[in-house]
Amino acid sequence: MKKSTQVALILLITSLIAFNLFGVQRFPRPEFENGYQQPETILNAPRALFFEYFDLAVLIGSLSLITWLILKKRSRKAVFWVMIFSLLYFGFYRKGCICPVGSLQNVTLALFNPEYSLPINGIAFFIIPLVFTLFFGRTFCAGVCPLGAIQDVFALRPVSLKSWVQSLLGLIPFIYLGLAVLFAATASDFIVCRYDPFVGFFRHNASFMMFAIGGILLFISVFIARPYCRFLCPYGVLLNLVSRFSKKHLTIAPSACISCRLCENSCPFGAIDKPTGAKFKQPSNVLVKKLILYCLIIPFLMAVCGWTASKYYESFAKVNFKVKLATEIMQSKNSESEVIPLEITAFRSSGNSEEVLFEEAKVILNRFYLGNWFLGGFIGLVFGLTLARLTIIPYKTDYTTNKGTCFSCARCVDYCPVKE
Amino acid sequence: MFKKFDLKNFGTDQLWNRIALVSGIFALLVCVLLIGNYIQVKKADPINMKVINSLVERLHKDPSDVKLREEIRTLDLLSRKAYFTSKWQIRTGGYFVLAAIALMVISLQIISYRKTIVPQLSPENDDNTMAYRNKTRVFIVTGGSLILATALIFAILATNELKEKFAVQEINEETPIENNSDLITQAADSLVLEIIDTTGTSNITIKHTVASAFTNNDSVNEKSAASSKDNFPTFRGPGGNGIAKQKNIPISWDGSTGDNIRWKTAIPLPGYNSPIIWGNKIFVTGANTAKREVYCINRNTGAMIWTVVVENIPNSPGQAPKVIAETGHAAPTAATDGIGVYAIFSNGDIIGLDMDGKKLWAENLGVPGNHYGHSSSLMIFKDLVIVQYDQKTSPKLMALSTKTGKTVWSTNRDVKISWASPVIVNTGKRTEIILAAEPFVASYNPADGKELWKIDCISGEVGPSVAYANGMVFSVNDYSKLAAIKIGADQPTVLWENTDYLSDIPSPVATDKYLILSTSYGLTVCYDAVTGEKYWEKEFGNNVYASPIIAEGKVYLMDKTGIMHIFKADKEYVSLGEPKLGEPSVCTPAFTNGFIYLRGDKNLYSIGK
Ligand code: SF4
Repeated sequence: MKKSTQVALILLITSLIAFNLFGVQRFPRPEFENGYQQPETILNAPRALFFEYFDLAVLIGSLSLITWLILKKRSRKAVFWVMIFSLLYFGFYRKGCICPVGSLQNVTLALFNPEYSLPINGIAFFIIPLVFTLFFGRTFCAGVCPLGAIQDVFALRPVSLKSWVQSLLGLIPFIYLGLAVLFAATASDFIVCRYDPFVGFFRHNASFMMFAIGGILLFISVFIARPYCRFLCPYGVLLNLVSRFSKKHLTIAPSACISCRLCENSCPFGAIDKPTGAKFKQPSNVLVKKLILYCLIIPFLMAVCGWTASKYYESFAKVNFKVKLATEIMQSKNSESEVIPLEITAFRSSGNSEEVLFEEAKVILNRFYLGNWFLGGFIGLVFGLTLARLTIIPYKTDYTTNKGTCFSCARCVDYCPVKE
Repeated sequence: MFKKFDLKNFGTDQLWNRIALVSGIFALLVCVLLIGNYIQVKKADPINMKVINSLVERLHKDPSDVKLREEIRTLDLLSRKAYFTSKWQIRTGGYFVLAAIALMVISLQIISYRKTIVPQLSPENDDNTMAYRNKTRVFIVTGGSLILATALIFAILATNELKEKFAVQEINEETPIENNSDLITQAADSLVLEIIDTTGTSNITIKHTVASAFTNNDSVNEKSAASSKDNFPTFRGPGGNGIAKQKNIPISWDGSTGDNIRWKTAIPLPGYNSPIIWGNKIFVTGANTAKREVYCINRNTGAMIWTVVVENIPNSPGQAPKVIAETGHAAPTAATDGIGVYAIFSNGDIIGLDMDGKKLWAENLGVPGNHYGHSSSLMIFKDLVIVQYDQKTSPKLMALSTKTGKTVWSTNRDVKISWASPVIVNTGKRTEIILAAEPFVASYNPADGKELWKIDCISGEVGPSVAYANGMVFSVNDYSKLAAIKIGADQPTVLWENTDYLSDIPSPVATDKYLILSTSYGLTVCYDAVTGEKYWEKEFGNNVYASPIIAEGKVYLMDKTGIMHIFKADKEYVSLGEPKLGEPSVCTPAFTNGFIYLRGDKNLYSIGK
């Protein structure tokens, strides 16, 4: 890396962290003794229905366009410009909301809490990228997702990670997905939105912590391309799984691969699978044995992880504000301190009954108990399947994009000498 | 004329590098300034400035100093202005930083955009697929096992007790009764024999019908259900608010065919009071002009466990007061806390008995000056029996000790005679006794009887008790109005009121969403509890004297002919059944899990399988 670029990068990160300056505390309301009535807080009206449909149209339009550019035109440069458009529109103009990554929580919440009515846009933003991915691969990631786009523009000096590091870090999004679903299903929190590292930049507003995390991730993006997409994004997990079934996924070579190896190091995301060659071809009896072994190991792992996670349900449940409030009320009753926390005062002045709160908190605890079992089981399953995947080597003769992890960014296309 | 625009020819790499560098340095400089500004803003507390505070203090000493007042205002304005200017600077600076970074990224992107792609081949085709897979497996297995083992150790050590703690809190909140843990009830028994016990020491004759096989409580007592929540200790359930926590309540039966009727027991003396339940015991009272009795019935078998004749109470009048037939001499429902059972009659006799029917205390509160007859039911708060005594002369609310019957506190009320029962609720902030009588609805601290609030919104001869839900109290009376009172603030306020449907006997019942009100002529109406919007009305065709109770989201409303109208507490009227008791009834039902207990004119019924 050139010295000037390095200096520029350091400056950049420092500046990004300074964005937290937007997140200073609110100015308290002045107090009046002369009976002056404080004006009512005015809430922003929801976005007009027309614009909601317009957003949807933009999503479908840009997805169709980018898919065509990737599969038909095979043009990285065109993909780049669509990506810039999405960054400006879905990122800076729409301020990162509504976004498919977060919408997975809305969908979960609606599935587990029938009283929450999910807006049609919420479902559409969740489903449409998945549908496109099912047919054409992760073209949404390539240049429509604003979170991916902001990292991609910073991917200036990508280095390739060791495959094993990549595999290990690749487990994190599964865990994050499990947690996001658990907290959304229990109506506790939308952690994906709360800990969205880039939305602060889009909105010019976030806590110091979030600006710092966002800044660090963007800095990392310079060397490790799209760290959030690869090692954190929970929606990426779904896209990854769905994309494996895509029939018309981008290929490095437009026709037959000549195994020239020119594209071997072209992917900044390590998403190119090398040919494995005949030497890794495993005899079928070995494969069957391994299969039987994993059939036994995986349920065991799921049970152990499920049981373990279930033991932590109370700690998890404390994220839920009702459980937290009930705990605080209980503690304040048992404490000698005269100071009553603000939350409790606010709750009491609302006239709501504590009995109802405790009852609701109990129901939420039960949900977490069950949810933690599922979460643990899911993590066990992911670990088990990852081990199985690593043991069973698929037989490959060409250089191909890994349909699960490839973002269809079309960078590798330019490296391939086969043009027809 | 114009050359085709091509990014490749647009400036040199060196130029873009310099632009990137300059914009980067600019961004950094602005950042440093912003951070400085930010620290300043963070430190500054414009509403708590020392100078202003000291001036304000001076002003407090001499409030007439107009000049000083103006000076403070000017200073205050200045400090606020400074604060907001800093905020503006931060925001504007932020935009500069953003623009500079964008320019830097664009410059760097342009440089990389026109770089020719040079594929980099690894020196040799080192096929490390197997090695990487093995390595990854090792890492996952060792790393995963380590994490799992640590998590397991902590999981084994972890104690999850919140649920239990919440349950305890819930019980504490819900029940105003304490000292439940050591409560005991007698086991059920079908072997009944009658003995007459005249306690030599007492001047009260108590006739026991005892489950004699179980005279020694200790040997047979099962631990009672821990709280009033699990029982049905007072009129309209715990606290008298018309909400039952019991589950699986039957919705169909037929008294004439015996369908779903578990047992039926005749109650010797008439009484319009409702059954109350603790453990395996049901209590009702009965009276006529000559006699007053308290009955204890086995909840499982319907067998009469004991009967106490309430007689020879000191200061009790020789003659029963005049009452109307629709009230009778035993209209108030008794109350129990699992330690004792407490009953009051039309002549002012009040008695406390233990769970075996032994007298704890008894006295006469003075014949109530009440032209229809005293009807207000007893309530329990901790170790106090709460008695509404809104009679003609010196109306009052009293609390008697459950142990001795002595008056612990008594609060005079400036009200007309009323027939409503006290309702005890926990509002989240505190426990309150709420009462309605002309001219106000008022709340009292159950610990000392001090008035907490009152609001003028009711008039006439008030019969219905209030209903409470979600910070709202609902009061109603015929020829007056229905008022929805928001409490919680220092002063309660009437959120909405209505005069279309008014009740003179049945009490309303409320949930967070709905208010259900039945009139005594059988018209039932459901309102939105918060807005007062009427959802539906339903004419049942028969008179209704009993009060509705909500259990499991279902409303149980008994009409005078003995038909129980069961419907959903919901926006729409959805009937769930109209089972018949087979005899007239004016009593409010009581519940245990899976069972409902109804008192008809003559009999007490247990319904359920
Ligand atoms: S398109 Fe090529 S370069 Fe881009 S992510 Fe997929 S494999 Fe990597």
